[in-house]
Amino acid sequence: MKILVAIKQVPDTATQVKIGADPRAIDTAGITWIVSPYDEFAVEEALRVKEKRGQGEVVAVSLGPDRVKEALRSCLAMGCDRAIHLNDPAWNGADTLATAKALAAVIKQEAPQLVLSGRQAIDDDMGAVTAQLAELLGWPCAYWIMEEAIDADGKTVRAARQMEGGVEVFDLPLPAILAAQKGLNEPRYPTLKGIMGAKKKEIRDVKAADLGLAAEPAQLSIVGLEAPPPRPPGRVIQGDVPTAVKELVRALREDAKAI
Amino acid sequence: MYKADLRAIRFTLYEHLKVQRLFELETYAHLSREECDAIIDQCFRFATEVTGPLNASGDRTGCRLADGRVSTPPGFKEAWKKLFELGLMSFTIPVKAGGFGGPHAIGVILAELQSGANTAFNMYPGLTHGAADLLEHCALPEDQQRFLPPMLDGRFAGTMCLTEPHAGSDVGATRTRARHLEGNVYALSGTKCFISSGDHDLSENIVHLVLARIEGAPAGTKGLSLFIVPKIWVNEDGSLGAPNDVATASIEHKLGIKASATAVLNFGENGRCRGILVGGRPHEGMRQMFRMMNGARIAVGVQGIAVASAAYLNALAYARERLQGSSVRHFKDPTAPRVPIIEHADIRRMLLEMKAKVEGMRTLAVKLALHADLAAALAATDEGQAAYHEGQVDLLTPVVKAYCADQAFRICEMAIQIYGGAGYVQDHPVEQYLRDAKIFSIYEGTNHIQALDLVARKLQSRGGENLTAFLKEIGGFVAEHGARPGLAAEVRALGEAAAALQRAAGALLEFFMGGKLDQVTMVANAFLEIVAEVTIAHLLLEAAVVAGAGHGAADDEHGQEEFDFARGKAMAAKHFVNYVLPGVHTKVSAITGGDRSALDIPDGGFSTAR
Repeated sequence: MKILVAIKQVPDTATQVKIGADPRAIDTAGITWIVSPYDEFAVEEALRVKEKRGQGEVVAVSLGPDRVKEALRSCLAMGCDRAIHLNDPAWNGADTLATAKALAAVIKQEAPQLVLSGRQAIDDDMGAVTAQLAELLGWPCAYWIMEEAIDADGKTVRAARQMEGGVEVFDLPLPAILAAQKGLNEPRYPTLKGIMGAKKKEIRDVKAADLGLAAEPAQLSIVGLEAPPPRPPGRVIQGDVPTAVKELVRALREDAKAI
Repeated sequence: MYKADLRAIRFTLYEHLKVQRLFELETYAHLSREECDAIIDQCFRFATEVTGPLNASGDRTGCRLADGRVSTPPGFKEAWKKLFELGLMSFTIPVKAGGFGGPHAIGVILAELQSGANTAFNMYPGLTHGAADLLEHCALPEDQQRFLPPMLDGRFAGTMCLTEPHAGSDVGATRTRARHLEGNVYALSGTKCFISSGDHDLSENIVHLVLARIEGAPAGTKGLSLFIVPKIWVNEDGSLGAPNDVATASIEHKLGIKASATAVLNFGENGRCRGILVGGRPHEGMRQMFRMMNGARIAVGVQGIAVASAAYLNALAYARERLQGSSVRHFKDPTAPRVPIIEHADIRRMLLEMKAKVEGMRTLAVKLALHADLAAALAATDEGQAAYHEGQVDLLTPVVKAYCADQAFRICEMAIQIYGGAGYVQDHPVEQYLRDAKIFSIYEGTNHIQALDLVARKLQSRGGENLTAFLKEIGGFVAEHGARPGLAAEVRALGEAAAALQRAAGALLEFFMGGKLDQVTMVANAFLEIVAEVTIAHLLLEAAVVAGAGHGAADDEHGQEEFDFARGKAMAAKHFVNYVLPGVHTKVSAITGGDRSALDIPDGGFSTAR
């Protein structure tokens, strides 16, 4: 079974994000880049499907500038067989729809039976690409997946996600798209053997023209970025206990409207 | 929480010492910087996610001995399994032996990250690695085949068994005996103590490397042989046999590294303990064991750097957060806003000394490892260069071990001082760091043994060529940068300290010639510190030059961080040269002045108290 995993390279979760000189983008100086954690669940699940079935191919795909190769390399080190890098200045400033169109074009070429991704990337938290991709391909899609099982002859996949007070289960005919939620698995660390082996694996550069796509204006544009307002300092209520408790209850009720 | 400064580490590796030049040599051509960075990243992730969280809990739980078996704290088994799955312990093992053939210059950083996150845990794989490395160098091919693969995949662990109750620093007094049975197999009997990782529940089997005296062998270190003594016998086909009469008599209750089991082991209590003579060569035990001991000495220095760095970075984070007191500029105003303690000059002074020492020591350790890598890589093509690098490894090994061990404790002490009362209690990690760090100056050859090794052996080997080459390198740096704006005074101070070092070396030689061996041993530790501080001053100044050349000014919007980094390097160098390096002259004048106070005081003169 051929499985394609769509991943995004994002700033490390520990990054203190700063707004750049152009207030529509963050300052990328000194940022450590990682594979978005939800996408790591997707990579892990793809590898597990391949291992369980004893055969198959896992292809990692990502769109972005040259630095994205590092993220793809790390997917190869985890065990993906090869990678495709959608790397073209035409995609600079691509919005979710343009990204989904590029991915859809690659998927048409590659014809995988299953596509996996994270439920959203942790940078801008849009969570839109996977759904747009499903729409463009006309494939069934399930989000927030925490369990999946493909039937023995590879025709359908049963996928489950947690709902409030229960579990929602879907049967999707393949090919289909699943978006991974935390809890689906515990991603493996790339081993030294995997890291050393990764350089022998192929990362294919693909340009927009290779997919028959032309640059098109983004439908979504960022107007500006602002840091969230700083949190006001906490307040210590002074006085003896009965007075302080009264004041606390009043403040919770009237100021904070919490009770 | 474990913290490491990967930016500073990468600067040391690639910008300052340029270890990437190794990848152009045939020995390391199968590797690239990209892979090494990915491995460092994974190692850091392992350290922060897996072993780091077990550091405090392991310290509180400690190890237990019940029914003759040692159990390690919860989580250790899983961490052990994951570590060997990752393959980190095989990084520097040669490819032909099943490893990845990576350079030690990178290996030092991997070891730092692992030891910094959890010193006690890392004792177990660290010793296993050292024992495997020894076998790879000294054991017969059939014994390598029998023991190496399971030691590289974590099924077997390893130890080094030298110390006996009456034979610590005096290893020549070893009493453990070996009686020939057949072929290379001997019957062993004796007791070893202070055996790190002597018993535990992490692996299927433990391979003890035991120093013992074959019956009839001469006294002293020359009569010692080295034996492979598995806890459970290993058949020739690699399958496990019967228990090999190795008993854990007790484990120690210690000041620190409590999660590392330190055992008393009885070999052959029932006359059924068998050992395999390493390499089939009797009376070669010390020479063979030195393979593991030299590696372990560097590893202990790296443990010092690791814990010191973690203590520094934690103290730094605390100093940035903790509000106490107002700015000295408003000392008359009791209502002035409270400021983070990093604004106080006394805190900054301590933080900068810690930074300078940690980064200087790390650079020294990586440089030592780089010398070792270059010696190995050039051995076949350039004998002269290889010998030079080998000589620097010899010279610097005791310096790295002893200086980093001593300073680790002192840096941890400073970290506690920065935390104040909060650092003295277990809510913060620094009190454990201090306790864990104390052992570094004691085990693996006390720091005095290191100092003796330096003055008696390493200074004089190769006709004194090691020190000459070392001083020549510093002389070249001083000549090149003695007029450098902003650092000129410090560079010249380095030149003066190096000249003082040479005078101290001359005085030592005179003591030797004059038969004043007691005086040599009395000043040996001071001499080692002199060498260390001159070396570190050199490396810090060199780092400042390299950083300054790369990113001199904050001239664009992304430049501030780089500018601060370079300024940090320059200030660290200046601080070390102005506050630490002058101590060199005090020590040198005491040595050359011929002071004998500690020798001349009568025993009764210390005190009349009994």
